[in-house]
Amino acid sequence: MDLQTQESLSVKMAGNQGSLTDAQKKDLETALPLWKIVMRQFLEHKMAVVSLGVILFFVLVAFSADLIAKGLGLDSNRQNVSARYLLPFSRTEIPNDAKESSIETWISENPEKSQALSKALIDKQILMSQRPADEILFELGTKPQTEALQLFEKISQPEFVSFKKMLENFGSFHLFGTDEVGRDVFIRLIYGTRVSMGVGVMVAVASALVGLFIGSLAGFYGGIIDTLLMRVTDSLLSLPLVPVLIVVAAIDLQKLPALKSLMNPENESIVKMFLILCLFSWMTVARLVRGSILSLREREFVLAARTLGARDRTIIFSHMFPNVIAPMLVAITLGVGQSILFEAALSFLGLGIMPPTPSWGNMLNNAQEVIYKNVWLTILPGIMIWLTTISFNFVGDGLQDAVDPKSIRR
Amino acid sequence: MSTYILRRLIQTVLVIIILSYVCFYIMTLMPGDPVELMIQSNPKITSADVERLRALYGLDQPAYKRYGTWVNTILGGDLGYSRTYRVPVEELMIPRLKNTFILSLLSLLLSLAIALPLGIYSALNPGGRFDSIVNFFAFSGISIPSFWMALMLIIVFAVQLGVLPAGGTETVGLNSENFFNFVKDRGTYLILPILSLSVQQIGSFIRYARSAMMETLRNDYIRTAKAKGLERKVIIWRHAFRNALIPLITILALSFSGLFSGALLTETVFAYQGVGKLVYDSIIANDYNVAMISFIISVSMVLLMNLLADILYGFADPRITFS
Repeated sequence: MDLQTQESLSVKMAGNQGSLTDAQKKDLETALPLWKIVMRQFLEHKMAVVSLGVILFFVLVAFSADLIAKGLGLDSNRQNVSARYLLPFSRTEIPNDAKESSIETWISENPEKSQALSKALIDKQILMSQRPADEILFELGTKPQTEALQLFEKISQPEFVSFKKMLENFGSFHLFGTDEVGRDVFIRLIYGTRVSMGVGVMVAVASALVGLFIGSLAGFYGGIIDTLLMRVTDSLLSLPLVPVLIVVAAIDLQKLPALKSLMNPENESIVKMFLILCLFSWMTVARLVRGSILSLREREFVLAARTLGARDRTIIFSHMFPNVIAPMLVAITLGVGQSILFEAALSFLGLGIMPPTPSWGNMLNNAQEVIYKNVWLTILPGIMIWLTTISFNFVGDGLQDAVDPKSIRR
Repeated sequence: MSTYILRRLIQTVLVIIILSYVCFYIMTLMPGDPVELMIQSNPKITSADVERLRALYGLDQPAYKRYGTWVNTILGGDLGYSRTYRVPVEELMIPRLKNTFILSLLSLLLSLAIALPLGIYSALNPGGRFDSIVNFFAFSGISIPSFWMALMLIIVFAVQLGVLPAGGTETVGLNSENFFNFVKDRGTYLILPILSLSVQQIGSFIRYARSAMMETLRNDYIRTAKAKGLERKVIIWRHAFRNALIPLITILALSFSGLFSGALLTETVFAYQGVGKLVYDSIIANDYNVAMISFIISVSMVLLMNLLADILYGFADPRITFS
């Protein structure tokens, strides 16, 4: 309950003491569950709420990437050398020889339909052909796409729908332009959302679990285990991350036989990226968990559980973990932003996710040459990285405020 | 106190030794070793030659034995020879360290000059309009990929406006006797790297300064000072700011650790000849000696500076005991 409602309540109570309505009484008597307090507090952080919306939108985009690609008839790996470095909002058509060859296959697949279609075209005098009658389909197809479709509309018989579909595939609209080999940037950004955010979220969650495990071992058992684990944690924390990540990322994992079975060439770079980032991002959570477990260990409810004969496992899992979940959630959220940034940096240097799989980082891979041709190729992926990272950071900040009892204003 | 320092020193050295071994082992896992490269450049090589070369370079030995030999030569004062640049490694390292130091120090100073006033001022009125704007910029700063920021600066200042160079350290062939011209030339190449390096630092410094100040303002002695009827200015500068400096000193000391380690991404994007770029280039080019030495030096610098920061922290805050 926030300050204002409480104030207004007490004012009301002073005004007409002893005559509370039932609703007011109920409001006073029921305690709010923790998650409701947290949610109310979170909703006060406007930027965090907006950011949560942005994140949900991106998640939605990531999940429906295939659907979007199908709906727009775009393919993230289709190259078109004749349409490189196109600016945003431009149209392209495939070269004429490619059009002709696909018309040829259509004719050979549907010989009767093609006969009928040519006949219809000539009968209705839509095309005045200088060429022999059987080439009229080629003439229609190799016209600019919009014109061809307009002409085709005049026949509009349902049986020729497959021809129309083919015509529609001859040209495409590039909302964000095309890259250095003529791939559509828009659909690559969408698939990049999937890869970059997927890696970010997975790394944050997995490394938090590792940190939880190590931190609780160290905090609960103390002694030599604690000293050993914390030395390792501190040492890893003190390393400068970017150079270390680059050295590790340069390893040829195929030389490590244990990992060979884990991956196939298709997802090798993603698995590698995931493992490397996990290896170097569990430490903050480990320290955080150790700290809270150390203080929880001295609390009465743990003593009570111990007196009742609870096993270590029970105490750790069902008495201590619920108390560390909230700060861990904050750490995970902030970790996603970090992981996305690191993934982008490594992929930018050519050591992360390997093309043709698009990620926001590797779309910037040869940005330094490309900026002289088409600046949008550099600007757009960066904006996506920035927008996602800042959203996760804001949500993390909001969560932090919400779960931190010191900052809850009641 | 001295036992604490000794213990930390031993720990730091231990970490450096372990790390150098891990790094050495990792280098053996990287695709291509010196002999493989020789095979590529000389197709007539026979398998007997390969065997002999491997024995000559000690590549047939297990990794830990090779590490032992390598450490021995290093301790003997021979840092090895760069295969790409054809010069001894120490000749390569020293100017790089200098360049990196200049870049990092200048950007650190710039970030502090901008971030501290903004952070402290926004803490005085949390939730206000100024605070929200500063907060947004701080979050933007820590969320922008530094290499992308660098690219944006290149696009604006080098490609579109054409006022500053897109990369490099100094104008090639400019052999100026005039000190002023020398500084001016280096300066034009430094502006963009400094800016792009500062953005992230400014973001995090603002957040630290703001939270340190807010934390301090919550203390009882501030309430006491207010109750005594002290002026707002006195409360803020004498009572709050001084105490807020303590956590800030740690952060400052921690950023000193980056002074020699190099800003790998920024240096790479701007082709600035610093340690970070050297680490990256030598790893990509399979230049083992340089990669090992530059990596170990840059990491050791960070670790030693961390240690220094912890010790200095103890002097800044008398409440801290080393135990």
